[in-house]
Amino acid sequence: MKHKPDVIINTIARLMVPFIQMYALYVMVGTEGAGGGFQGGVVFAASFVLFVTAFGITKGRSRLPESWNTALSSLGLYLYAGIGILCIILSLGIANYLNYGALPLAKLTGIAMTRGLVISFVVEVGIALTVMAIFASIFFDLAWKSEDEGGEQ
Amino acid sequence: MKAITASALVLVILLGALFIYVAEDIPAFGDPNSPANRWVNLSISVDAGADVLTSLNDGVVPEVLAEKIKDRGFPLPPGYKVEEEEGGWNVLIPTGERLYHELQEYYFINREGDRLWVYRYSAPVRWQERCEEETGVPNMVTAGLADYRGYDTLGETTVIFTAGISVILLLRRRGKL
Repeated sequence: MKHKPDVIINTIARLMVPFIQMYALYVMVGTEGAGGGFQGGVVFAASFVLFVTAFGITKGRSRLPESWNTALSSLGLYLYAGIGILCIILSLGIANYLNYGALPLAKLTGIAMTRGLVISFVVEVGIALTVMAIFASIFFDLAWKSEDEGGEQ
Repeated sequence: MKAITASALVLVILLGALFIYVAEDIPAFGDPNSPANRWVNLSISVDAGADVLTSLNDGVVPEVLAEKIKDRGFPLPPGYKVEEEEGGWNVLIPTGERLYHELQEYYFINREGDRLWVYRYSAPVRWQERCEEETGVPNMVTAGLADYRGYDTLGETTVIFTAGISVILLLRRRGKL
């Protein structure tokens, strides 16, 4: 079925998508308020769902290409697990896996609360990247139709 | 059809009443001084004799009490400290974790009349009182999610990743993009 553009849905979607993504970034870094990586990632993926609903799946896929999608889905997990490995490496084997206090960030930056910064800006963002990419990937795979099934290319 | 509707309505009302009844029975939630949130009674008690009291004041848990605590399954580790507290004594123990605080509140020995009762501090106490200074995150939920339960969250993220990879393997059609 060919995608027919609709002026109301297009305008609303064009208006809403940036705000949804901004809100997702706010929720993602859950230091002060409610939120966290899982919720932020799902809200970010929901913005892509809205975009595809309004502009069609081909245009949506060109905004989030398959290669980027696959790379991002594993990058988030690598960030999270890599921080855990870094804790062991940088403390020369003294600290446990995922013991963020062992990272020598406090000496480098002079801020005492670096442990919290690592949690909110690396771990949560890593979770959010994985969740966002995986949910978008599942949505695109379910919605995609190949050419011989009569879908648009 | 009508009988089914009526019985479904009755069932829903009964279930709702049951839920309300159960919810009324839940103790005050989040009250930091309610017993379950504060400590657990280990049901260990000894007579508050003179030798026991002097031993506690000198900073040593007496032999009678230590034996009973060991029987309960929480043996006292080497290097513990006894600290006088209002109405009793705190037993502080060193933890095996590096880069955390050295001494943790473990037991509270309470004096009630002429008997001593042993309580154990529960995990929410440490969480509420120490989570901000230990983790550096002002949000208790984030501290629990990413720091105290970091392995758990890593596993959850892996589950989501695995689900996405399975969908890619099963459903992805090879298109031009």
